[in-house]
Amino acid sequence: MNQLRDPAHRVSPRARTMWQLEAAVEAAVAVLAGGIASVVWVPGPWRWLLLGVLVVVSVASALVVPRWRYQVHRWEVSPTAVYTQRGWWARERRIAPMSRVQTVDFAQGPLARLFGLATVTVTTASAAGPLQIEGLDRDVALGLVDELTRKADLVEGDAT
Amino acid sequence: MTAGPVPEAPWQRLDPRMLLVHPITELVKFLPVLIGLVVAGGASGTGPWALLGVGVPVGLGVVRYVTTTYRVTTARVELRRGLLQRHNLSTPLDRVRTVDLTASPIHRVLGLATLVIGTGSVVTDDDDRLLLDALPREQAAALRTHLLSVLHPVGEAGSDAPAVLAPEHVVARFSPQWLWYAPFSGAVLVAAGAVLGAGAPLLESVDLRVSEDDLAIFSPAVILGLGLAVLLVTVALFVVGYLVVNGGFVLARQGAAWHVRRGLLTHRETSIDVARLAGATISEPAALRLARGRRVNAIVTGLRGSQESSTVLLPPAPQATAIATTTAVLGSAEPVTGPLRSHGRKAATRRWTRALLGCSPVVVAVVVAVAAGAPPALLGLAVAAVAVALALAADRVRALGHGHLAGHVVARSGSVLRRREALADAHVIGWNLRATWFQRRAGLATLAATTAGGDGQVAVLDVPEPEAVALALAATPGLLDDFLEPR
Repeated sequence: MNQLRDPAHRVSPRARTMWQLEAAVEAAVAVLAGGIASVVWVPGPWRWLLLGVLVVVSVASALVVPRWRYQVHRWEVSPTAVYTQRGWWARERRIAPMSRVQTVDFAQGPLARLFGLATVTVTTASAAGPLQIEGLDRDVALGLVDELTRKADLVEGDAT
Repeated sequence: MTAGPVPEAPWQRLDPRMLLVHPITELVKFLPVLIGLVVAGGASGTGPWALLGVGVPVGLGVVRYVTTTYRVTTARVELRRGLLQRHNLSTPLDRVRTVDLTASPIHRVLGLATLVIGTGSVVTDDDDRLLLDALPREQAAALRTHLLSVLHPVGEAGSDAPAVLAPEHVVARFSPQWLWYAPFSGAVLVAAGAVLGAGAPLLESVDLRVSEDDLAIFSPAVILGLGLAVLLVTVALFVVGYLVVNGGFVLARQGAAWHVRRGLLTHRETSIDVARLAGATISEPAALRLARGRRVNAIVTGLRGSQESSTVLLPPAPQATAIATTTAVLGSAEPVTGPLRSHGRKAATRRWTRALLGCSPVVVAVVVAVAAGAPPALLGLAVAAVAVALALAADRVRALGHGHLAGHVVARSGSVLRRREALADAHVIGWNLRATWFQRRAGLATLAATTAGGDGQVAVLDVPEPEAVALALAATPGLLDDFLEPR
């Protein structure tokens, strides 16, 4: 049976905390907005039913999604290829040969900087989406960028 | 005057005959203003003003001619343009992806051709395209051969002599029989739908009136006749449109490039470098399939799907022609006609459930309406919706398939917009394997071979995961070895 295994490395555990914080803020905003909207527009008992559903869904997704995401997000670099896995409900695995790597980007949003995390994006010549590793420890990310740039440089050609 | 590369090549002007073309095209643009001027001038008796009106476009044409220069050095193509706002366009020769020749009717009368150099950038602004408008036809053809030969240095490098033209091998040529397929392109269905959509309310209102005998002039026969007339006109428009765009179509291989020539009035000649030809897409939208026709596009590295007109290998044409053409282009019949592996029962189940879920809102709405007192005949609508959904699902199940045939990743899917795509292994630059929770439960995944042209990927829908991995292993040996589950 041919089966792909998961990539070897997890992202930083701090990424889970960051995602939980993000999800909590999002859930709070959703509940607040939904609450105001239903108080204004929805009459009678329906209001409380709707609010109840909204709160349950928001809290559940804020609790579940970040953990799920952390379980899924993984990455690995072999001498010849990059392999990433991300998503939660929909899991996407992407593999790109080192010889086709065009650019390696390092990015840090404000929240990520607070947590000492970074995102590494590897692009190829395809329009069908780059490989992205979110929530890497900053130093690991820097080392990875270095390694990928070096390996991609070793291969000749225009990577198309 | 040759287009051959000389170090520090001098800047050259375009063909002087453009002094004739520019004023004519400018005149056409200024026509409304001119008519206004002439009418005004005739009325008030100030003749000379009309002459000035003619003078402006002529002057603009001269300015365009004088201010536009180009040169081809050993490393770059450069173009300078503009009087007040100067444009300096320059591109390295090795970035040239396609070279197109176009000739409007005026150009053709004067023996000229416009050279459009495509670099695969996403420039949409006309001002920023590398466009030599225009050169003598032979010179433009020679320059094209030169630009394409830079990509494939054959023989001694750096020879100044223009390359000897390789013999041309014609693969497909326009035949009047192709016109039959013009109305079956997807667009005509939309038009027919629009006619029906507009006609239906009309018919309804007519139904009411026909019950009154004195308005017999609006009999269903008259309405039907009108509808038929509209349909005929639409079909005629499509046939004429097809003829104008694709008349005189020729697909030919010359040396290391494919040339596509087409156009009844404006000639257009596209060249695709063989090294950038990653694969081909055979499209068989439902209507075209019913007429036993096919359409073929090339997947070209550096050309996105949006630049579709540059990648046409065959306009809607007979199935046999499409198969023969694609076989010639890919160098093997297997990716075109070879048997594909079906995706199994679970992939089929997904097609059925998705179709039924898709039409469920209609069914629910109808049932609720009937329960609320709507006429029970409405239930027919729900039955029809389910029937259409099931038919689509069955057709989609039939279409699903993939294979690794003669060094190509081949995928087929879809019903209304069915297509079979073949991508050469060497042009696979990565793999995306996507699976939702439902797909994982069914052991399926959607595998996409990414590439640097077309839509950026060739996707294999809902394939059992082991088969997806097997396909990737076959197409890119060694790439996945490090990431396989230990046995």
